[in-house]
Amino acid sequence: MSRNAISAEELTYHYGELVAVDHISFNVAESEIMGFLGPNGAGKTTTFKMLTGQLKPKEGQAKLLDMDVTKRVERVRGEIGVCFEDTNLYEQMSAIENLNLFARLFGLRSFDGDALLKRVGLAGRGNDKVETYSKGMKQRLMVARSIVNKPRVLFLDEPTAGLDPVSSESIRNIIIEERARGAAVFLTTHDMLEADKLSDRVAFMNQGRIVALDTPHQLKQQYGKRALKAKVSTDDGELEDREITLDKPETLDAVHELFAREKVVTIHSEEATLEDIFIRLTGRGLV
Amino acid sequence: MSIKRISVLLGKEFLHGSRNYIFIFAIVAPLLISLIVSLIFGTFLTEKPRLGVLDVGSSQLVPMIQELDSLTTKEYSNITEIQDAVKTGAVDVGIVFPADSDSSIQDDGVTELTAYVWGESLAKNRTIITVTITNLVRELAGQESPVNIETITLGDEASVPWNDRLLPFIVLMTVFLGGLLLPATSLINEKTRKTLSALVVTPTTIGDIFAAKGLMGIILSLFMGILILVINQAFGAEPLLLTLMLVLGGIMAVEIGLLLGISVKDFTTLFTIWKMGGIILFAPVFIYLFPQIPAWIGRIFPTYYIIQPIVDLSQRGGSWPDIAVNVFILIGLNLILLGLVLFVLKRTRQMVA
Repeated sequence: MSRNAISAEELTYHYGELVAVDHISFNVAESEIMGFLGPNGAGKTTTFKMLTGQLKPKEGQAKLLDMDVTKRVERVRGEIGVCFEDTNLYEQMSAIENLNLFARLFGLRSFDGDALLKRVGLAGRGNDKVETYSKGMKQRLMVARSIVNKPRVLFLDEPTAGLDPVSSESIRNIIIEERARGAAVFLTTHDMLEADKLSDRVAFMNQGRIVALDTPHQLKQQYGKRALKAKVSTDDGELEDREITLDKPETLDAVHELFAREKVVTIHSEEATLEDIFIRLTGRGLV
Repeated sequence: MSIKRISVLLGKEFLHGSRNYIFIFAIVAPLLISLIVSLIFGTFLTEKPRLGVLDVGSSQLVPMIQELDSLTTKEYSNITEIQDAVKTGAVDVGIVFPADSDSSIQDDGVTELTAYVWGESLAKNRTIITVTITNLVRELAGQESPVNIETITLGDEASVPWNDRLLPFIVLMTVFLGGLLLPATSLINEKTRKTLSALVVTPTTIGDIFAAKGLMGIILSLFMGILILVINQAFGAEPLLLTLMLVLGGIMAVEIGLLLGISVKDFTTLFTIWKMGGIILFAPVFIYLFPQIPAWIGRIFPTYYIIQPIVDLSQRGGSWPDIAVNVFILIGLNLILLGLVLFVLKRTRQMVA
């Protein structure tokens, strides 16, 4: 059984009177991707900062690889990789210079920057200044920088926000590769589809609290509404929608009745999305 | 803190920070101002010190002086002529060799000479002439006999040459452009571009970052300070003590720079503070620019304790005993500022730790 790479216990932070994170607890195992979802102001970034040692929790404890983040911050930082939402590269430096700088700060004796750039699809552009890069290229370089030290815990904050599908897919592949290498991945995102696709488990955060935490499948089972959606043709020749909720005692009769009484044109099953569940749980959307 | 990481960050500052316009400004501005001052006030590629001689009794010293390449010598025939030449600044110093000067040099134990000094002459010219005459007298005497040169200042003594007046300003500007502005702008740049956040999630600490930026500021201000003193021919007298003063001045500038860099949000605010705070930093230079201002006023301002010893050493022939008190006060001020920097560092570390 994989051991916990991230362990948060009753983690709390407040800015003056405003409680940003309110006694949250969760674990992330090695080789696991945890999707951390929530709208702006939910407390995701504050949690992110406490876990990466940028903020000291007001209450509770954050442990990474069994080390207390606040007490052994330097050791912890040697084992983590962080990719920020906002681009924060040294733009006047080349890509390879950026990677080499961070490799030296991590104290790496040998480091192959070119191989890493190839991995993120930036081969041949390593000597170009970052300021000449497109947003997608910069984001891929940010991801590359976050894995310079082969981190055992990888923190990614909105890594694909605003990117074209090709760049997004490239970054998703790297995230999957990092999980396969054994890294625990803490992924904060607005993108429910991405979270659904990548995450082994997801946590919904709202107003500083975790309101649900489970695998996407379990969440859909627990909170989602599975349904059959049909289009039927009326006597006037117009199309109308019909919906039958699944997993209810009367479902079978309803299906029989639909086909007996109506002229069914199309029919398909529909599964709840994470977004539906989030709205149901919090009464609000993600933005 | 880690020396290895500090050196990595220092390398980054010098390799990539040097393309920053503030970095270029910190190097170019003092050089340019120094060059302009030298061109306007006439000592760029300075002429040799000018010595007037009144030789009443055909002294052997006069031909020895005339043979020297390091001085421009002019002979006068009577006391009024030489005094007029000194008063008008035709020569920096006028020396009178009495009729029995050679015999008194060779026979007596002590040599007495009278020198008229132009009030506006450069301090270094006076020093060169005095030292040269003393050496020649001893050469003629064949022994290390004492030489007393009685100096009489002619002309307006308060009219210190503009080169000398402006040197404190140029040196202080050099020290503070490199030492204060560079670390401050570099820190603000890291904050606004959010690269600071990227650094502090590696094993790099805020202390490493402060140390690297501080070292960069001290190295640049020291290098530029020495260069400016050399260009202005003011580094020769006490190079070790002058280097010490530049290092201590650089430390003060860096400490203020780091405090500003961590507490100020953006460049606009920094430059507003620089403009307003500049009055406090540069106030002491006014007592050198306008010698009529009472010198004690300078003591109110912390940068006085950087610049006064530098002026004492480079322009007034001072040595350690003359500057010791001011140096200790400067060290005290630096320690107070260091305490503040460490306090801010601790707070920042708690916030970012």
